Amino acid sequence: MYINRFDRGFSRRKFLNDAARGVLGAGVLMPLSEAISANGEINKAYPDELLSIEGYTKGKVKTGDIIDANNVQYVKDLLEPVRYEQILKQGRKLKIGKTTSEIMRLSPWEYIEATLRNNGKAGFDARGNVVNKADGQPWIGGNPFPDPKNGLELFAAQTLNWGRHDASFYAMKLYATDPGGDVRFTYTGGWCEYSPVARVSMEPMPYVESQKTKLRYQSVFFTQPQAYRGTSFLNIWDYDHSTFPALYGYVPEFRRIRQFPSDQRFEPLIPGLTLFLSDAWAAGDPLYTWGNYKIVGRGPFLAGLADGWASDDPNWEHKTHGGQKGKTFWDATVELVPEAIIVEAEPVKFPRAPIGKKRVYFDARNQIVIGMVTYDRNMKPYRSFDGAYSMYDQGGKKVMDGKHPYWSWAHVTSSDIQTGSVTRIEQVKQVEGVYQSGANDPAYYDKYLTQAALQRLGAS
Amino acid sequence: MYTLRARLARWVLGHRRLSFAIFGLITLFFAAGLPRVKLETVFRDLLPTDDPFVQVYKAHPNFGSPLMVMVMLRVKEGDIFNPVTLAKTWQFTRDIDKAPGVDHEQILSITTEKARYSEATPFGIDMRPLMSDHSPADAEEVADFRRRVDRAPNVRTFLISEDNRSTIIMATFIEDKVDYGTAFEYVEALAQGARDANTEVFIAGQPTLIGWVYRYEWQMVGIFAVTLGLLIASLALYMRNMVGVLTPILTSATAAIWAFGLVGWLNISIEPLLMIVPLLLTARSFSHSVQFTERYYEIYAHVKDRVKAAEITMSVMMAPSVLGIFTDVLGIVVVMAAPIPAMVRHAIFCGMWAVWLIPTGCVLISLLLATLPAPDNVQSLTGHGKESGVHRRIQRLLAAISSITHGPRAKLTSVVVVILSVLVVWTSSQIKIGNPVEGTNLLWNDSAFNQSVRAINGSFPGVNTLEIVLEAKNPDSTEWASHTVDAYETMTRLQDLMEKGPNPPRATLSFADYLRESNRLFNGGDPRWSTIDPRERAVSSAAIGAMMGSSSKNFSHVVDPSLQHSTVSLWYPDNKQETVDAALASATAAVAAVGVDHKDFTVRLATGTIALQEAVNRVIKRYQWVVIVVLNVFVFILCAFAYKSMVAGLILLIPVNLANEALIAAMHLLGVGLDTNSMIVAAIGVGVGIDYGIYLLSRICEEIQTTSGTPDQRWAMAIDSALRTTGKAILFTASVMVIGIIPWYVMSGLKFVADMGLLLIAIMGINMILALVVLPLIVWWVRPKFALRPNSLVSEGVDLALFTDGGVTGKI
Repeated sequence: MYINRFDRGFSRRKFLNDAARGVLGAGVLMPLSEAISANGEINKAYPDELLSIEGYTKGKVKTGDIIDANNVQYVKDLLEPVRYEQILKQGRKLKIGKTTSEIMRLSPWEYIEATLRNNGKAGFDARGNVVNKADGQPWIGGNPFPDPKNGLELFAAQTLNWGRHDASFYAMKLYATDPGGDVRFTYTGGWCEYSPVARVSMEPMPYVESQKTKLRYQSVFFTQPQAYRGTSFLNIWDYDHSTFPALYGYVPEFRRIRQFPSDQRFEPLIPGLTLFLSDAWAAGDPLYTWGNYKIVGRGPFLAGLADGWASDDPNWEHKTHGGQKGKTFWDATVELVPEAIIVEAEPVKFPRAPIGKKRVYFDARNQIVIGMVTYDRNMKPYRSFDGAYSMYDQGGKKVMDGKHPYWSWAHVTSSDIQTGSVTRIEQVKQVEGVYQSGANDPAYYDKYLTQAALQRLGAS
Repeated sequence: MYTLRARLARWVLGHRRLSFAIFGLITLFFAAGLPRVKLETVFRDLLPTDDPFVQVYKAHPNFGSPLMVMVMLRVKEGDIFNPVTLAKTWQFTRDIDKAPGVDHEQILSITTEKARYSEATPFGIDMRPLMSDHSPADAEEVADFRRRVDRAPNVRTFLISEDNRSTIIMATFIEDKVDYGTAFEYVEALAQGARDANTEVFIAGQPTLIGWVYRYEWQMVGIFAVTLGLLIASLALYMRNMVGVLTPILTSATAAIWAFGLVGWLNISIEPLLMIVPLLLTARSFSHSVQFTERYYEIYAHVKDRVKAAEITMSVMMAPSVLGIFTDVLGIVVVMAAPIPAMVRHAIFCGMWAVWLIPTGCVLISLLLATLPAPDNVQSLTGHGKESGVHRRIQRLLAAISSITHGPRAKLTSVVVVILSVLVVWTSSQIKIGNPVEGTNLLWNDSAFNQSVRAINGSFPGVNTLEIVLEAKNPDSTEWASHTVDAYETMTRLQDLMEKGPNPPRATLSFADYLRESNRLFNGGDPRWSTIDPRERAVSSAAIGAMMGSSSKNFSHVVDPSLQHSTVSLWYPDNKQETVDAALASATAAVAAVGVDHKDFTVRLATGTIALQEAVNRVIKRYQWVVIVVLNVFVFILCAFAYKSMVAGLILLIPVNLANEALIAAMHLLGVGLDTNSMIVAAIGVGVGIDYGIYLLSRICEEIQTTSGTPDQRWAMAIDSALRTTGKAILFTASVMVIGIIPWYVMSGLKFVADMGLLLIAIMGINMILALVVLPLIVWWVRPKFALRPNSLVSEGVDLALFTDGGVTGKI
């Protein structure tokens, strides 16, 4: 049995040595990309102690166990400090699930296929934009840097495509809880993302010729509370990775679009939330408005990767626990991520940012963001973000996205550590029976992503 | 024949080891509570809990911005529109974001993105920060910035002064994260760095005030040390032997450990602003101990046996000591009648401290005296040695005082006293409630904080606000009460009524102002859109427009973060009582006009500095006399019981109440109003001041029983003798207390503490004089019968034969 040779100390030494030598290649026993290419699984790249919580904790914690204040010390090294504190002091709990080894369950199918297909074709042009090296045109789909060499490449991939679909619509509910544990604000609405470039599912591919100067169209609108019904925002991103997106707001009563300062990205869009524009997908700003990207650590981590879908609820709504009123945290399942890459970045183009840096945790297996902590300018933890993704294929229930099960995020928890406020967001099946979560519907653009669409949503 | 006291004394002194062990164990128990002791000033606990204004304040603590620091940069020459000052403002704003405990979402200045101007463009309404992503670097950029400022009316009112010489930076702190002391020192250091030949920096706001108080509270530790040093030095000078010095220190220290330990165990925090009272108690403890020790020496000089002398001393001194201490306890505890949490905690802490003076000052001291070696200067201490010049002069003074309190001169003295009393009572009745200063009464008028408050008040709407709160009836509703037509119209009408009424505020602000501005901007910027249709959708949309892309916390000064409760803020130029009265009268009328009860909310009057000042004034008005009357009743009952005569109670209470009236009259003549300080001082004045009367009256009672001759001769001799003996003790006691308090007046940077020190010194002095003059005068005229009866309860006299089985005879 080889496993005895590769104990916990071996993995740690490997991570530390690689970090010290500036080597990023993922995988401990062999390069991760090779293991994935071989059979689509990660098992051969990592020793058992990084593939199961039992192995990591030497049996003190098992799959199916609940992490709470009584046993959190066994997994302290697998959590960022904020979740650790919340478990210890605010009654937060995490259920331990099995580590996902099949790489195809960790992102949309088409995205992974494109990643493998286009491996090695991406590069940066003179302006630093990610392009297809062959023709200098915008990126052609999938993760441009599946074997990232530095923090910039990780962030470039994340900024390029947030939800990993060509287009996504998330029906969602948002809850803002105050430090006393009461839900102070409840919003429902929809969030739409649409990529005119790097397309892998929707025609035309790989980009819409007339829109290839744009990276993304993204809107968010609200249906509840009644006062906010029809209120919406539209972000239009330039493909240039240094240009701030245009931001428009719409209030139905006024029948006028309002343009917001595009660099004002550290304020919540609507009252009560602890989410800023800048926080979206841990890469809510253009790539080069942040800088000094550097990898600061690697190692195992606990995150929700594959089992976040609340399939038992007809509208996919999650249950809560913790805080003083039992409403502060989502019931969540996490799994041992064998290798997380921790990258820090600084808001170099925001002279007024209240943020000193952000620390983002990427899963080395698929380079998806699995956690973020932002720090204030004294470098004290300020806000934290964690969530869960899911393959919407669970216990015989399935939601399809074309030929394959739908993959997406399921819920997010955003905590303002300094004030004690927590915002919970969940993707639900539908809002008002009209707005359905889904992906890659060509109709999204006209329905949600134009100024006319905003006005139409306001009138509904 | 053995009284309970005598039996107790005999048992204690007969079981010294056990007694010491009991004291040791109790002291250990309380000492274990010491690490839990918390010294903290909780400002809201200085407010009366039952006042409706305070209840509004506690229900809506965010209104009035209690966690906001205001920094004003003012140029001496020119205006702020120059690259240097704007760069300083930029940098200060960035630096204050790094203050420990600051809420990063609530920092506002002309350099932040929250200070915006807006314009309608063909593509929509364009909202831009006043300042781009750097401070204006040249004349052209400065001119452009100035042009933008002129298009942002709220910025003009609240962030840049009318004369363009000043600008404000506001930073709000997170209540459970901020360490006021650290934050204060941080902002102070920033201010120091920003000051130059042409730039002044002023810092105000409640966190700054707390920071100043914390800084001065550390100063108190020094004053405490000085005070103790002075007390010990005076003891050493007076006693001139180790035992005499050590005994009061040990007993006082034990009482202090018990007092602090108890509040540690009870988890009650100690209010440092009232620490002068424990110091007064320490001084009381010292003077009690000195009197006890002196009496012990007198007895020891006769019986020549330390243990026996201690037993006799404990037996005879216990009752008068307990009586004296109990009146002190009453004087401290009775302020609990006023529903002010800090006072209640103070009463528990200091009241129990005073109670602990009974076991330590009667029992422990006896044990110590019986155990420690007797000093070799007993003869001189008991008056058998040569009297010094000072003592002779004191005796002459006391003889002179005595001569005007009896015999032929008594009539003239009485006439003068009566006339003065009438004048004093009349003058004291003119006193006003409230002691306003512009800024805070906790600090001196010329303190940096109060200067800052004046400077900011001079350039901006300032810090004196009255807040009329629209309190949502159902805060958990999904419909936000602050976003309704009714709320909008009520806010608007209240502002209108106040602005057009008599004594209008210098500025008003409510959420309605933001709604109108939002409505105007979304509709193209024409000022004619600054009104809102009275439709729910129109109002709520204006609210959404105002808050889009902005944290609701940015509006927390006008609407609470849950968007349910809102306030109308009214700024006044000062907090003089006339201004407060006029503002409240107008506000009451305005609230009556708009109605208190609405469908979704209730209009509540009021919070803000103006309302809270009135709340404190009202509690003084309500309780100043209640406290004194209650105390009079208790002390009367106690004294009537001790002397077995109601006349005794009345005789003793006249001088102390007259002293209180005299103090209030003096305050009025000095232009000082009644406040929390004076209420505490008045109560302590009666409680502690009555001791003088008890000492003197008891001595007169004892002396009259040993005299012979005509009644006139007997009373005159008794008064004369009492004044020359006990009068001297009263002088000593008063002196010790004054020594204990003087450093607090002279050295404290906190006006509150210094004022209380001064008032205590004054009332102790007045009490002493009245006890020495008015009490003998009353006794001379009344010639109470109870004085002619033997009364072992209050007598310090002792027949030694009773304790020594005839071995030693004589009465001392």
